[in-house]
Amino acid sequence: MDQNTRNDLLQLFREKLNSAMTYYLETCTRCGICTEACHVYASMGQVKHISAYRHEIVRRIYKKYFKARGKVWPSVGEAKELNETALEELYESAYSCTGCRRCMVYCPFGIDTQMIMSIAKLLLIGAHSEPEILTLLADTSIEKGKSLDLFKESFMEGVKKLEKDVVKKWKMEAGETAIPMDVVGADLLFVALAGAHSIIPTAAVFNAAGEHWTLSFFEAVNFGAFVGDPTRTQLILDRILNEAKRLKVKEVCICECGTAFRVMKQLAADQPFKVSSITEVHARYIKSGRIKLDPSKLNGPVTYHDPCQIARNGGVFDEPRYILKHLTNDFREMSPEPKYNWCCGGGGGLVALGEDTLDFRMKSARVKADQIKTTGVTTLVTACENCHTQLNNLNDHYQLGVNVKFLTSMVADALMQ
Amino acid sequence: MDALYNFVLIYMVYFSVAVFLVGTTLRLVKIFRKPKQATSLQIYPEKRAKWLGAIYDTFLFPSARKHKPVLWVFLIVFHACLLLLIIGHLELFEEFKIFQLIPHEVFLGNGFLGLIFCVTLLYFLFRRLLSPVRELSVPEDYYILILLFLIAIFGSQMDWARSWYGYEEMVVGDYRTYLLNLLTLKPEVPYNVLIAGHSFMLVVHVFFANLFLIFFPFSQSMHSFLSLPMNKLRRG
Ligand code: SF4
Ligand code: SF4
Repeated sequence: MDQNTRNDLLQLFREKLNSAMTYYLETCTRCGICTEACHVYASMGQVKHISAYRHEIVRRIYKKYFKARGKVWPSVGEAKELNETALEELYESAYSCTGCRRCMVYCPFGIDTQMIMSIAKLLLIGAHSEPEILTLLADTSIEKGKSLDLFKESFMEGVKKLEKDVVKKWKMEAGETAIPMDVVGADLLFVALAGAHSIIPTAAVFNAAGEHWTLSFFEAVNFGAFVGDPTRTQLILDRILNEAKRLKVKEVCICECGTAFRVMKQLAADQPFKVSSITEVHARYIKSGRIKLDPSKLNGPVTYHDPCQIARNGGVFDEPRYILKHLTNDFREMSPEPKYNWCCGGGGGLVALGEDTLDFRMKSARVKADQIKTTGVTTLVTACENCHTQLNNLNDHYQLGVNVKFLTSMVADALMQ
Repeated sequence: MDALYNFVLIYMVYFSVAVFLVGTTLRLVKIFRKPKQATSLQIYPEKRAKWLGAIYDTFLFPSARKHKPVLWVFLIVFHACLLLLIIGHLELFEEFKIFQLIPHEVFLGNGFLGLIFCVTLLYFLFRRLLSPVRELSVPEDYYILILLFLIAIFGSQMDWARSWYGYEEMVVGDYRTYLLNLLTLKPEVPYNVLIAGHSFMLVVHVFFANLFLIFFPFSQSMHSFLSLPMNKLRRG
């Protein structure tokens, strides 16, 4: 690596060094309390997957270039040069961490591994060594935001075709629109995922609840966040923020996508609208009697997988359980304390990387598969697209024999007219 | 010999205390003045008493208790001893009424506190030598433990060594004179301290303590100050 590249990368590193990040880099005592926290280590037993080992890979570079010690006495902290080998280590570390932050619950100081890994991810982008597909997907999303007029018509046509399926789930009066779009002054803007499976059931529930809603032109998923690029993350988010402001909505509701929800909740904290997850909105409808669910639709024991970004990192624990109480009387908790729930093993962009990561995803989530098996359920519910894909893969791989379902679809299927 | 003793007991002490105070303050100011994290780093579920929770997490390490109970016992004993030893050393400057709730001479437990402290350090060292903590550790982690061990073993056993001389030499009064001299910038080690048979123990104790103080601001020991703000971030 030439000096110029190194300097550019160190500049990126420097930009990440706010107070919180500096606490995290200065403090780890390498006590090993976090050892068993990571599902990857718990499943595969390799020291390189212990969260403290992961941050030490970033920290060694920090010690080399951002601490006086790195010049005077580098060996005391095993400070390391930033070079090609270091980049390889950073890649391995960052793209085997799902950013689930389970280790943060274990650490006596609360060191945030996901935060530290964001340095690794940013350095990889700077060195053009990140998984290209993620950047490509992020750029496509950004492009879509810039040229809304070009695809608007075709998108609306596509959505129109879904309306008959929505009506099948919830009958409507003649003249009512099953999937409203571009409605100025709507109460709620729903940001879905690309795909009918995300739009149809939710639309039916909104209509059943008599919600004054509108569908966003953009998909919720934020590939910028997966690849750890703050600029792209913000640009992707801005598309939705601008739409919400243009339509003057009171609430932005994010579909079943953990990362999209957390990013929106965090980065849109001081916007003129509130941010909710679809699970919170559904629980609200049930509570206020706006929708009624038929509990007889579901047979057999049910468990719920808390998506890390929605539960431990987003604060939505009670709502899915409240909804499930209206759908089944055989609900079983997966983890005695939901904040300790194992990650499904698919976060941090790993599922988005598809087949390339499949083998690792299966091996690294053995503990998750065991956890599911122990519950003895037949239906496994979750509220995140990523988790859903990963749990389905686990179901096949470990032959768990469960039916993996989205909470939203279950609500839609149980609607009582 | 006197020159060496004077160097360690006076000039090196001044130097290391200065590095410790200035280094720690400057580093903390620098860290705290960095831009704040714009987004929340909270872990849910949220509890109402955030500051109280953060203080609880910082001083009682509930996560350690839950996941590594044996280590937790040693951690608590280690930190409690550390606190008591610091208080004990303050009493070598002068008597504090507030510490005299239970009347005592000097709060150093006749060296036993230091011994317990050493046992916890040996445990930490031993733990570090075993996988997987061994793979996580870097030299600094060992150096700090070894330094603390040397400081404590020589410091605590001075009381025992004093018994070789029938408790006549180097009494609390001598320490007070020595430390007062340091405080009032009269660089002079009292005669009694220099000639005692076990003076070398004091010199070794102070020497390693000096090294520790010099290293402190640049080491992971800064967690003493950073733990609370970090735990607060986690609590939201
Ligand atoms: S628990 Fe925290 S301080 Fe201890 S090794 Fe893990 S990250 Fe470091
Ligand atoms: S954030 Fe999750 S995946 Fe990453 S090191 Fe921590 S526990 Fe492991």
